[in-house]
Amino acid sequence: MTIANVSRRDFIKTSGLATGGLIIGVTLPPMASASDAHVDNATFNPNAFVHLQDNGDLLIYCGRCEMGQGINTALPAAVADEMEADWQRVTVRQADGDEEKYGPQGTGGSRSINIMFEPMRKAGASAKLMLIAAAAKVWKVPPEECQAENHFVYHQPSGKKLSFGQLANIAATLEVPTKPTLKSVDDFKYVGKFIPNQNIHQIIKGELTYGVDTKLPGLKYASVVHCPVYGGKLKSLDKSEALAIKGVLDVIVIERLEMPFGSLGGVAVVADNSWTAQKAAKLLKIEWERGPHGSYDTKSYKAQLVKNVESPAELVSERGDVTTGLKNASKVVKATYTGGHIAHSPMEPNASVVWVQKDSCEVWAATQAPKAIQDTLAAYLKRDAKDILVHVTMAGGAFGRKFKCDYVHEAAVISQHINAPVQLTWTREEDMRTGYYHSISAQHIEAGIDEHGAIQGWLHRVAFPAIGTLFNPAQQRAGKGELSAVDNYPYGIENFRSESGEAPAHTRIGWYRAVYAIFYGFSFSSFSDELAYAANKDPLSYLNQLYDANNNPDQQEQAKRSKAVLNLVAEKANWHNRDKLPKNQGIGLAVHFSFSTYVAMAVKVEVNGEDIKVLEVDCAIDCGQVLNINGATAQMEGAVVMGMGLALRTEITFRDGAVVNSNFHDYPVLRINEMPKVNVHIHNSGHKPTGLGEPGVAPFAPALGNAVYAASGKRYRDLPFKPMSI
Amino acid sequence: MDKSIIINGEKYPIDVESDMPLLWFLRDHLEKTGTKFGCGAGLCGACTVHIDGVATRACITPVGTLAGRAITTIEGLSENGDHPLQKAWVANNVPQCGYCQAGQIMNAASFLKQNPNPSADDIDNAMQGNICRCGTYQRIKKAVAEAADELAKEVS
Repeated sequence: MTIANVSRRDFIKTSGLATGGLIIGVTLPPMASASDAHVDNATFNPNAFVHLQDNGDLLIYCGRCEMGQGINTALPAAVADEMEADWQRVTVRQADGDEEKYGPQGTGGSRSINIMFEPMRKAGASAKLMLIAAAAKVWKVPPEECQAENHFVYHQPSGKKLSFGQLANIAATLEVPTKPTLKSVDDFKYVGKFIPNQNIHQIIKGELTYGVDTKLPGLKYASVVHCPVYGGKLKSLDKSEALAIKGVLDVIVIERLEMPFGSLGGVAVVADNSWTAQKAAKLLKIEWERGPHGSYDTKSYKAQLVKNVESPAELVSERGDVTTGLKNASKVVKATYTGGHIAHSPMEPNASVVWVQKDSCEVWAATQAPKAIQDTLAAYLKRDAKDILVHVTMAGGAFGRKFKCDYVHEAAVISQHINAPVQLTWTREEDMRTGYYHSISAQHIEAGIDEHGAIQGWLHRVAFPAIGTLFNPAQQRAGKGELSAVDNYPYGIENFRSESGEAPAHTRIGWYRAVYAIFYGFSFSSFSDELAYAANKDPLSYLNQLYDANNNPDQQEQAKRSKAVLNLVAEKANWHNRDKLPKNQGIGLAVHFSFSTYVAMAVKVEVNGEDIKVLEVDCAIDCGQVLNINGATAQMEGAVVMGMGLALRTEITFRDGAVVNSNFHDYPVLRINEMPKVNVHIHNSGHKPTGLGEPGVAPFAPALGNAVYAASGKRYRDLPFKPMSI
Repeated sequence: MDKSIIINGEKYPIDVESDMPLLWFLRDHLEKTGTKFGCGAGLCGACTVHIDGVATRACITPVGTLAGRAITTIEGLSENGDHPLQKAWVANNVPQCGYCQAGQIMNAASFLKQNPNPSADDIDNAMQGNICRCGTYQRIKKAVAEAADELAKEVS
């Protein structure tokens, strides 16, 4: 990693960033795939800028995208902490899309904290040393006699002090220390404490600008209707009625762009406001040729996936001898689990403003991946990716959806066509019907246990259309990479085999918050509960037994940390006194390791007939060092809400190739009246920090299913448990 | 007939098609973007504003029906973001992405005027039309209850 003083660098002047004061750039180590030999230190590639202005205001440019997960609070807090800055003086700015300057900006996989915590700390620590050096220079005293505290540098022997703002321009002329010493964890003032969301005052006044909010002079507004079937085509279009509406400027056919994040193809209406565009779009008379996926039907497809996992499939991974293990077992337990497609449905539908001009292309978008926008538009416009300027706005939720920029591509097509800046806002219906869906899935597990419940063999078959199909539509089944969480699950299983059943994609499949951990967490934690009952064991002690049986030296940390959160959550949820609960209540446990973080949940339910009421949820997390207790707690509360929605009700249904759901009346996400009490317990293991945006989603559904079984004896193996029939 | 509308105390002519929902009149015509588009069908509450003090879904309310009416949006709820609900929102660190929060606050503000002393169930019932996908519901419940207490102090 390189930290450099870039206050005088030319590119600062051309980048539009404010100049003056002290600016520290942070360069990341190359990604694991790149070799160190390729790092050219002469080319400065800062990942984020720490900019101390001479009035003392501290601006931190964040290259990672903010969508509510709190990264633009947590990382700046790390900078401010090491810098001994006053948090009240910090303003965070979202960096434009430029990976040469800011390093990888694609924000997904709960990786921002893993990647950025240390570089941001070093940027802060370096700035502090430079400010101290600047003060020492002014006072002509040794820097060792000076110290920084709360936006000032003090010289104790003389009682002198100078503010950070007063020192900024002097510090900007100094060399950057090569090896800044970082604080010890005990000395943190902000990190690990409860830090408010830095955007909160703008949010409560309606002043924060999202992707949907960009305004430009001469802006035109568009609405789009997509081909409802993946791979379908426009057959005929009668746009006369739409064009007759006052305020409609044009109707534009958008061809499908066969890139992973390109448009599905559709027809857009451009008008002088969004409403007119939406109204006119309803008057388009369009016939679609439905194409090769025109008969996709999720009900029959899911039934086929079940068949594919209940019979032998393609071998993915094997260790020991599962056949003999199953044969010698005193009991064999079999179960099949399924899950449906789900849609991200962030509250802000897909929206962006694009202005394509002859020599420039400028984008304002809520996005998780500015580089994907640059690459997609560069390919479409046949221009250099560097010439696509992407301004990243706050995203009104994303959950994986805004990693894909089909909506930005469409706005570019329209802008190019009408030669004006265009804001394209998808309707909720288009957002729900033409998205990138979480995989529909089936899993079948057969496990043999001996008289103590010890696992003698574990056969795990999966079938789901993989995200890989976005990049290679010919992919017929999930592969080794997509099963790695199954193959490396930290239970002690000596005789193991995984197989993958045929599952071609008939729609666009995409990352959804927690991704495959949603159904892997569900199958493993549900099935282990079934095994516990089959072995006549207490589920908590049985889970401990499964981790204790793990002799793989590479997985000891995983087993230990999984157990720690499991036992913590059991204690907090009063697991050992659960027999004192009313007869129709129960507690279910689940623990899942994903995205390098450990989460256990204990869900308490009351079951009355078909009615499931979630009373209380305890969550125990081990994400190493917590950066912000506020943010960490919020992520877990949110994970419970999302987990509960997908566990109970939300499912995307396809019929005749198209999505049947259309809006929140038939895609019933969780509402406030069902919100249980959520208690979050942090297990501080002292490990390095890891992300929390996704891992909390995985354990909810199995913990709920296990709780319902404890309360009622009814076992749910299909997500969602209570689908709405539409 | 007076074809104007009062928004946050200022008068504006209704010089658009009368079937345009108030939401788009605010967002695209007046460029007041604090009020958000979420569903376009009155199902999610993101667009909630006050019409003569009563919480209303702006996405399904044609502006042509609002001549002479007084609209309050999130930008006009208080002078300095210091309405008891806004203060409770800050004290409880409610928002994550924040997109739905204007609608949540506007809905709660209207509700507390009608029911200054709500039970937890009352809050759930009043707020269940407002969706939050980030899942801030636990904090919303607490913030609304605290704001109710604060408002009770102000009137007593």
